[in-house]
Amino acid sequence: MTLPLLVVLLLNGCAEKEKFIVYGPSQNGSEVEALIKEEDYVERSTVIHYDDSMLVAVQIKPWEKWKKTKLEKKLQKKFDEKYPNKDVFVSADYKIFYEANKIKKDQIEDNKLSDKIKELKELAKEKT
Amino acid sequence: MEKEQYQQLEQNVTPKPPYIKNIAKAFFVGGLICTIGQAVSLFYIIFFNFTEATAGNPTVATMVFFAMLLTGLGLYKRIGQFAGAGSSVPVTGFGNAVISAAIEHRSEGLVLGVGGNLFKLAGSVVLFGVVAAFFVALIKYIFVMIGVVSW
Repeated sequence: MTLPLLVVLLLNGCAEKEKFIVYGPSQNGSEVEALIKEEDYVERSTVIHYDDSMLVAVQIKPWEKWKKTKLEKKLQKKFDEKYPNKDVFVSADYKIFYEANKIKKDQIEDNKLSDKIKELKELAKEKT
Repeated sequence: MEKEQYQQLEQNVTPKPPYIKNIAKAFFVGGLICTIGQAVSLFYIIFFNFTEATAGNPTVATMVFFAMLLTGLGLYKRIGQFAGAGSSVPVTGFGNAVISAAIEHRSEGLVLGVGGNLFKLAGSVVLFGVVAAFFVALIKYIFVMIGVVSW
């Protein structure tokens, strides 16, 4: 009895969430969103804008995850070509995605934001 | 009695192992262990500064630690009896092999008993793991040199 109820509740929780989020002062928010939506392997994404930089955190669809690194590089290249005068950082890692959502949820201010993003970038490059 | 006759008789008497049942048990218990591992991995990602790429090492260490604890308490052998390969193929089986060998040789002393026999079973896992990793890396190096794949 409780199990189907739980499943329904869980599924509802998933459906209500926004799948493509753009956060921060930006003039081209919908443009970035459309750019990510073009790529059909992206399941959810959170984009953080600050100054002249952008943090693009994406989650890739389950079966496409085999090619995660390649798709990440592809997306990075696409953004670099589209915004040559912006410092864009693309990551498909769950940790980066989680922290990006946390930034949006906590509404972190600008002076702390750049430090936080710098920390995340360093974290994403770590290998061991 | 002829040799063939004996074999015939033996085959008739031996009960048929319930393969499907055993496979199902191993599948579900192995899956459960992997689900716990995924939960531990997510725990490290969310509460500590680990990414998906780096969370693997602490996760493996934690899972081996859990298995060692359960072996010491005598619970892991029950899981092993129930699930068979489902409990020995994941990395938890490694922890079980190390600690069960240590417990078995405890009476022979700390150095020659426990120390000498700690990797009696698990030693082959370590050895073949290192050898296999070496050859896989070698093959990949050759492929990269030819230019088929990139690092």
